[in-house]
Amino acid sequence: MPASVENQQFGTSRRGTITDQALAGIKVLDISGTVATAYCGKLFADYGADVIDVEPPDGGFSTRQLAPHVAGVHDPERSAMHSYLSANKHSVTLDVTQQTGRAMFLSLAADADVVLEGAKPGWLAEIGLDLDALQTAAPNVVLSSITWFGQTGPYAQYAGTDSVCHALIGMVRGIGPVEGPPVLPSGYQAQITAGLTAYIGTMGQVVARELGNVSGATRLDTSIFEANLCFTDVGAVGGYFSGTTARRMGVNRFPPTYPLGIYPCKDGWLGVTALTPSQWKSFCKLLDLDIADEPQYQTTLGRLKDAPQMDSVIAERVREKSADELFNKGQQMRVPLALVPTMEQIFTIDQFVERNAFADIHHPDQGAFASPVTPFRLFKTPPRFGGDAPRLGAATQSALALSDDRFDALRAEGVI
Amino acid sequence: MSRPKLLNGIRVVDLSMGWAGPLAARHLADMGAEVIKVEGCVRFDWWRGWEATQSWIDDDNAEKSVAFNTVNRNKMDVTLDLSKPEGNKLLKRLVAISDVVVENYSAGVLPKLGLDYPNLKQANDNIVMISMPAFGTNGPWRGYRAYGSTVEHASGLPHLSGKAEWPPTMVHVAYGDAVGGLNGAAALLTALRHKAKTGEGQHVDLSQAECLFPLGAHGIITQSATGKAPERLGNRSREHAPHGVFPVAGDDRWIVIQILSEDQWLALADLAHGALGSFGTIEDRLARVDDLEQTLSDWTRTFEANDLMATLQQAGIPAGTVRANVELVGEPQLEARNFWKFMERRHVGNQPHPVAPYRTDAAPFDIDAPAPTLGQHNTEILRGLLELDDEAFAALQANDIIGTRPRMA
Repeated sequence: MPASVENQQFGTSRRGTITDQALAGIKVLDISGTVATAYCGKLFADYGADVIDVEPPDGGFSTRQLAPHVAGVHDPERSAMHSYLSANKHSVTLDVTQQTGRAMFLSLAADADVVLEGAKPGWLAEIGLDLDALQTAAPNVVLSSITWFGQTGPYAQYAGTDSVCHALIGMVRGIGPVEGPPVLPSGYQAQITAGLTAYIGTMGQVVARELGNVSGATRLDTSIFEANLCFTDVGAVGGYFSGTTARRMGVNRFPPTYPLGIYPCKDGWLGVTALTPSQWKSFCKLLDLDIADEPQYQTTLGRLKDAPQMDSVIAERVREKSADELFNKGQQMRVPLALVPTMEQIFTIDQFVERNAFADIHHPDQGAFASPVTPFRLFKTPPRFGGDAPRLGAATQSALALSDDRFDALRAEGVI
Repeated sequence: MSRPKLLNGIRVVDLSMGWAGPLAARHLADMGAEVIKVEGCVRFDWWRGWEATQSWIDDDNAEKSVAFNTVNRNKMDVTLDLSKPEGNKLLKRLVAISDVVVENYSAGVLPKLGLDYPNLKQANDNIVMISMPAFGTNGPWRGYRAYGSTVEHASGLPHLSGKAEWPPTMVHVAYGDAVGGLNGAAALLTALRHKAKTGEGQHVDLSQAECLFPLGAHGIITQSATGKAPERLGNRSREHAPHGVFPVAGDDRWIVIQILSEDQWLALADLAHGALGSFGTIEDRLARVDDLEQTLSDWTRTFEANDLMATLQQAGIPAGTVRANVELVGEPQLEARNFWKFMERRHVGNQPHPVAPYRTDAAPFDIDAPAPTLGQHNTEILRGLLELDDEAFAALQANDIIGTRPRMA
């Protein structure tokens, strides 16, 4: 698989232009550049909003430190993760903690629709950029805060990570071997989920203003912890009524569903789910299992009781077969089987290629690399497919309308 | 108090079932849209139950699913048998006076009923309609069937969790559902902005499998930008130590501790009063990580999880108790922020509901009503909104087009 997908059918020609996009004319500033605020801003940018990253002059947003770095060079201009998050945005450097920088920020924020921030609660007020200050420049602004635990409550000042949130929502407890420790999901999944959630909340405010249902400035508070409870709230309510909690049952085993799992085949991995009685019967037929009609196996919970024995039988039956063949045959029989593609295979899966699921991000110091396209598709006003990620401060002079002299002077002062 | 009026004036027809589609529509309902859920008495929302028998129906079990109740609050519910001409026609009349349609059938179902986008566009030229099948509305897998687990499988995400010697490792029984639902809500609001600006509706789709790609972006991009997939290191990191899940007092009790800076390490070593004294620089800690984890575990095991979390957090160290589902209602941070709202509902009793996961400075969004019972609003919708007379309404009941109890096929 080449690093770049540029020359395939879904190259740069598929990128929309700003004027025909759904969010044309919306102005968004990101003042923090966490993964959560950046992903929220990315959705705005990919649908045509004008998104400006306001980065600290000394090294930029912390996302510039995130792996992977192209060619292994640890430099703020080499983080491919940052480029994925900041494509189609502008980068301005500005030290908003200085008096001059703060004033310049407020003029940059004139008539902004959205300001995204993810600082520790209280910091914005400390530097004089709370809602009161912002709304003098942008009377209809949505100040959208995305922080680990929200603006209030006993954890408000706590240190968060993606894993800490996954632990606290009750998700981690179910992942991994019976004899712990349980297993943490990798990467930035909690922050991406929260950025997406904050986009919903923020867009609700933006649309409400367009509809004339509300007006004026408002502060929106999204907690990464609470945003991720969407995965476990159903289980929490169930636990509230039953008073019981299921023990961790092993890798890829989650009540109440069984069969459920990922099995090696001769040519790859097969994902299995059989939930309803008819899926169970078809699944048995597919694997030539003679236990389809056993009375104790007519419910998911009944089957789950015998999972350890059944698991070795399933593994045995699929080992010598082709995952691709079982997947397609199973799906023809209405059983929700899946291929489980590796990172290498994922770019070549027909289904994903046909839907242009990946497109190239370009950065002057990184070349091009394939990355996921915004997964929801408005057919009349499509998202951008891939895009260009800016170098740190590439738009500082133009966005702030600075003369060359002024630019040099501010740079010497460390403001930009 | 009542729910916010942000989306007042927006009417949504919710044809979706299960978790993803109903969650997408719930976000709009939570923001004040009028959401009308459409079910059949035979084809009712499968999240009410997927193993229906006559005795299951007789015991009103279709009204007892807490899963269903959690994603359908703030909605109204009308029954319509869409496979019969009368039901089909009434749905089109409803769409004609609505702004949004949400559906998550597998591809092929709505075209067969004559209720796909081209058909519904004839009923309402400016309708915004979202289709949320597992793999999208086009491509060779468009008709394939999936649950949230299938979607997680197909996204490749399991290759990014667990240890190298394990099979690809799932993180949830239905990870793809909630993520698909969030993307659906995001898509609808994006399309509603275009509609507010121009008056134009449009068709929107998403692939629930693709919705998980951003969550796995770190792995996908590592592959495309460096030519190699990330290593599967379990809970460890190549850059930080200690970094993982450690035992605390009690049976199957654990805490996450991730030391990400030298300051945090020094704070931890200080709290441990010499127990970690033999470990030094990050290079040393990474080189002796087995030892380090064992020594730290011996120390963490002497604490109760929540006490240790508070102690570590007060010293600036990222730490979190590995909670069980039964600990979430009553969780201190959630309590302080009024995250759970209790509401009485027939057949269920007093059920806690998670509030919308975004709030203004003033307060969490209030919730007007718990999930509707099957056909609860048949009269309001059909007699009221669609202005059917007594005779027509009675005919729908007599012909099993509508009803308020499930029926076996």
